[in-house]
Amino acid sequence: MTSVRPKLKPETPKSVTAWETATGRTVWMKADGSWTEDITRLGVFTGEQAEERLAAAAREEGHVTDPYFMEVTEDGQITGRETLRESLRAQFSAGGFAGAVSEQEIA
Amino acid sequence: MYRYDQFDARIVAERVAQFRGQVARRLSGELLEDEFKPLRLQNGVYLQLHAYMLRIAIPYGQLSPVQLRCLAEVARDYDRGFGHFTTRQNIQFNWVALKDIPDVLEKLAEVEMHAIQTSGNCIRNTTTDHFAGAAQDEVLDPRPWCEIIRQWSTFHPEFAFLPRKFKIAVTAAEHDRAAIRVHDVGLHIRQRDGVTGFEVWVGGGQGRTPVIATLVNPFVPENQILDYLEAIMRVYNRYGRRDNKYKARIKILVTELGDAEYIRQVEEEFAAQRAHEKIDMPAEEIARIHAYFSPPGLAEKPAVSKHLESAKAADPAFARWTRVNLHPHKAQGYASVTVSLKPIGIAPGDATDTQMELVADLAEKYGHGDIRVSHAQNLILPHVALDDLPEIYAALDAAGLGAANESRITDMIVCPGLDYCNLANARSIPVSLEVQKLFADPAYEEDIGRLHINVSGCINACGHHHVGHIGILGVDKKGEEFYQILLGGRADEKAALGTIVGPGLKADEVPGAIHRVVEFYRTQRTSKDEKFIDTLERLGHQPFQEALYAAD
Repeated sequence: MTSVRPKLKPETPKSVTAWETATGRTVWMKADGSWTEDITRLGVFTGEQAEERLAAAAREEGHVTDPYFMEVTEDGQITGRETLRESLRAQFSAGGFAGAVSEQEIA
Repeated sequence: MYRYDQFDARIVAERVAQFRGQVARRLSGELLEDEFKPLRLQNGVYLQLHAYMLRIAIPYGQLSPVQLRCLAEVARDYDRGFGHFTTRQNIQFNWVALKDIPDVLEKLAEVEMHAIQTSGNCIRNTTTDHFAGAAQDEVLDPRPWCEIIRQWSTFHPEFAFLPRKFKIAVTAAEHDRAAIRVHDVGLHIRQRDGVTGFEVWVGGGQGRTPVIATLVNPFVPENQILDYLEAIMRVYNRYGRRDNKYKARIKILVTELGDAEYIRQVEEEFAAQRAHEKIDMPAEEIARIHAYFSPPGLAEKPAVSKHLESAKAADPAFARWTRVNLHPHKAQGYASVTVSLKPIGIAPGDATDTQMELVADLAEKYGHGDIRVSHAQNLILPHVALDDLPEIYAALDAAGLGAANESRITDMIVCPGLDYCNLANARSIPVSLEVQKLFADPAYEEDIGRLHINVSGCINACGHHHVGHIGILGVDKKGEEFYQILLGGRADEKAALGTIVGPGLKADEVPGAIHRVVEFYRTQRTSKDEKFIDTLERLGHQPFQEALYAAD
């Protein structure tokens, strides 16, 4: 873990995100506890259920790396202190990236 | 260039096999991330914002065409078709899957490359002047000494777990193009009474505590330099702080001890080293290494190329490129060419697979098989005949590599920033591209002259913002990106740290502010020969600061 991870209150809606260990791709936990590369399918958790989901993710060491809470709205939109960072993770995961490409692709 | 011997090849092959096993155990869950992290870092593998990042060593920035083609292949087959050249003269791939990295390293080993010591608290890739061996103003080619330092520092058992990472840079030219005074150790090769030696600077660095290095010894003879480096490292390894990551670099030790006491300790250690553990470099081994860096066989050429002159007359864009992107070569009729990786609208320092292959082809056809990476994130063809420049430019321009902006305002040093980096607070690439747009007219840019803008996305200063003539530092204010502007930094032999001029600006305010500063310079310079940094130093920062914050 290297980036800043703000502490979220139990009642704050959150998702669990991580990196797929084999590929490094960004993944989000779905409501059923499985993982997706599609941010629109992420699960929203609060309270004890959220803590249980994060603990379960941490046990999947071979499959995902460094899971953590990401703040979201009740309907699963990125929000909060790390909105820019998490939006970039989502955007790049979907194929947008700032490499040797035209600037239009990073707008 | 240096070629692996049987020992080098075996060590690298064994390291790849070892890492393959470690990756397999990580993927099976046998190794936890906390256990795996130090192992992957020792092999140049980071976990960044979006994916794993693999940093590959390019010793002192020198590549052969075969190696550059291999990097192109890695970009195409294992990444998203491009690579990012870094300020440490290395290359990074941003999208390589962990499961594929052992295969990538095996492929690299076949062309005598690796990722060892590109991360971790060890001695990193030694950097040097990207015109080494070609520059008119060097006293000798620094690369053999870089290679000797590389061999000494690679897998050095005593210095594998230093308090923090450690960076060495070497120059042999009066004009410092290797930024030696902002390195942990900077070495300037000098000659005194027929003896080659090193002026030794210690404790420079950037990051959150920028420091210009201290001159600790004006002349260490070449046959004693490894002993002297050993003494520097020992004092640091013993007394450098390990309790606080942010105070662990050697610059903090030198600052806290004070120059005089630090130098006393190094000299004491050096004396003990010479008395008891002197490193005797075998003369035949020194000669063997120097032989790898023999000058290319350059045919005699006239000082003026008629072919070049007529091509310049026919094409103003080409003529501008020759005015801006060429560096004088020590051999008459030749030049060193900067292949700019800063075309307008492209992430600075990035090159696609096909661009890498093109540069490899050009180096093979016209450049004696020699390619360099500069710490300013460009590629260099150090030995090119003037006669061949029109063909080289035509090929580069057709591939989007014809920008005539070496050391000009759009030739920015830019870190990957929050677009890639897990440590960053703000994006570097978009703000640099927006600044570039304002200076995209090549005639306007040439009129502005030499001006370095360096951009970092956080206080760690990978974009060298402290030593840009204009520095841009991205910061985070409650989730919003702001950019602090610094003025007056420089990384050359007059090294200086820029100072923050005032409150941070929003991203969309940065280009206009930079433009006002540049326009103020153009109105104040005594002539076009007075560079931005010279005008700034003559007038002081205040009027530039006022221009920067003036309303449009």
